[in-house]
Amino acid sequence: MSGPILALRGVTKAYAQGSLLDRLVGGASRFVALDDVTLEIARGDVIGIVGESGSGKSTLASLAVGLTRPTAGEILLDGEPLAALMRDHAGSWRRRIQMVFQDSSSALNPRKTIARCLAQTLALRGVPRATQEDDTIALLALVGLGAETAPRLPHELSGGQRQRVGLARALAMKPDILIADEPVSSLDVSLQAQVINLLSRLTRELGLTLLFISHDLAVVRTLCSRIIVMRKGRIVEEGPCLDVLARPTHPYTQLLISSVPKGIVGRRAPAAVASATSSVG
Amino acid sequence: MSAPLLKIEELHVGFRGADGIVEAVRGIDFSVASGEVVGIVGESGSGKSLSMLAVMRLLGATARITGGRVVFDGEDLLAASEARMREIRGRDIAMVFQDPQSSLNPALSIGRQVIDVVRAHRPVSTSEARRLAIQALERVGIGEASRRLEAYPHEFSGGMRQRALIAMAIACRPRLLIADEPTTALDVTVQAQIVDLIAELRRDLGLAVIFISHNLQLVAEIVDRVVVMYGGKVVEDGSAADIEHAARHPYTRLLKACVPSLQGPLGPLAAIEGAPPRLGRMPPGCPFAPRCPQAVGVCGREMPALVTDAARRIACWRPQ
Repeated sequence: MSGPILALRGVTKAYAQGSLLDRLVGGASRFVALDDVTLEIARGDVIGIVGESGSGKSTLASLAVGLTRPTAGEILLDGEPLAALMRDHAGSWRRRIQMVFQDSSSALNPRKTIARCLAQTLALRGVPRATQEDDTIALLALVGLGAETAPRLPHELSGGQRQRVGLARALAMKPDILIADEPVSSLDVSLQAQVINLLSRLTRELGLTLLFISHDLAVVRTLCSRIIVMRKGRIVEEGPCLDVLARPTHPYTQLLISSVPKGIVGRRAPAAVASATSSVG
Repeated sequence: MSAPLLKIEELHVGFRGADGIVEAVRGIDFSVASGEVVGIVGESGSGKSLSMLAVMRLLGATARITGGRVVFDGEDLLAASEARMREIRGRDIAMVFQDPQSSLNPALSIGRQVIDVVRAHRPVSTSEARRLAIQALERVGIGEASRRLEAYPHEFSGGMRQRALIAMAIACRPRLLIADEPTTALDVTVQAQIVDLIAELRRDLGLAVIFISHNLQLVAEIVDRVVVMYGGKVVEDGSAADIEHAARHPYTRLLKACVPSLQGPLGPLAAIEGAPPRLGRMPPGCPFAPRCPQAVGVCGREMPALVTDAARRIACWRPQ
């Protein structure tokens, strides 16, 4: 099929705010986390979704993997409505869309060895017990970890190694699309570079479709071919990554770019930032 | 040159473990001049935050200072009584932490918390303390401060909370501000504003600042000098320009190269293989030797001394 692998059509997610009493008497307000977002992701796309807190970028991720349901609009996985898939197929579609989380230590069970964690994931995909061990070693190799990692517990690994295990677990399902929500932002910079290089290699070698959610424009520039800039639940700008970063048209994108630390050359008069902020508000 | 405002000599900090003391800060030396802004850059476990908590004598129950001297304005802080330290903290040396949420008391109004700091250090009336608190809040860019005194921390955004904490820090006109990753928990646009605010306060109030961060690019925007730490040691110390354009320690150079930038060529980032050393498993020689592409035999055996070379100091057997 040549259509988009993932499509969002007019997707809105709103949460009720206020006390129970407010809601009963109709005085509650709604917080719109995602506001009428339409988006198409083609197979093999590596897309960076950038925004600050409250931009709706993580809401978009949890909607796409089916962790929450939209208030309005439709999500299509390979042309099929996600809502129908969730009803009909008892979860078999879940294999096709996998997620890597920000905090690798809370995303892994602290009492399970890495080997057990990966073997259980492989079992979910129906890999027979006899080949699970070989597949586990192969998965670890794919993310740059040696077989000696297999018998370890998560706390015995560094943050970078744990994040690789999280990635191996997601890849164990042979997903069509991988969603990574700030996967490197809690890592030290030297480990961050390792994981970015790894993701970059995997997207090339496996032809993986990647939705990379980040607040870091420079990381997105290194990894992604397309960029989507979000603010307050809406897409404010999108396009080829290098084009958008070289010639941003939306003032918010311009503000984000000017806020990235640039070392000594980035020293600027405080007034410049103050006026940039007020022009967006 | 006049005496430095803060002088740290051979400072050691360790944690008490089952097998005795495990050292996390392993003998660091550096000083900060009056009005100078110094960045301390390093990854987790480098000892950057722990050494500054030691300066403030704010170590938790498990950590202790195992050696060295900390001299502030001629006074040995490690010999000072706890009562004397309480006078110094907040009045002469103030500290701002990473997470503004957990640094504020959620049950007290912002105004009450700033006023408490003022009254703890200055013999002023409540109305005078209130006036000083409003002045401090306005100074850090919190508009309508007299009305905002009544607000509670949850009513403030993350950036506003960090501004309120900086207001508390400067309310008593300290001579040294220690900011420990003050922007790491904030959005990038807010981060830029807070960095600008600290630069502005330094200029207007003549504050000396120690800015702790993992981000070399961010630090270079406001500091005069950068101290790079790794594995509980100072590995390089030089002017912001020298560190940015002509770093000589392999770790500093790689640390710069592995951060993606908005300019420059694309392609794989320079990666530092392996992970920072773990507490209690420090290699015998240079702590960076196991990950260093330049390392030779001696690097793994012996820690190089921190050698002064013109305006910078460097601890490396094979500086570049």
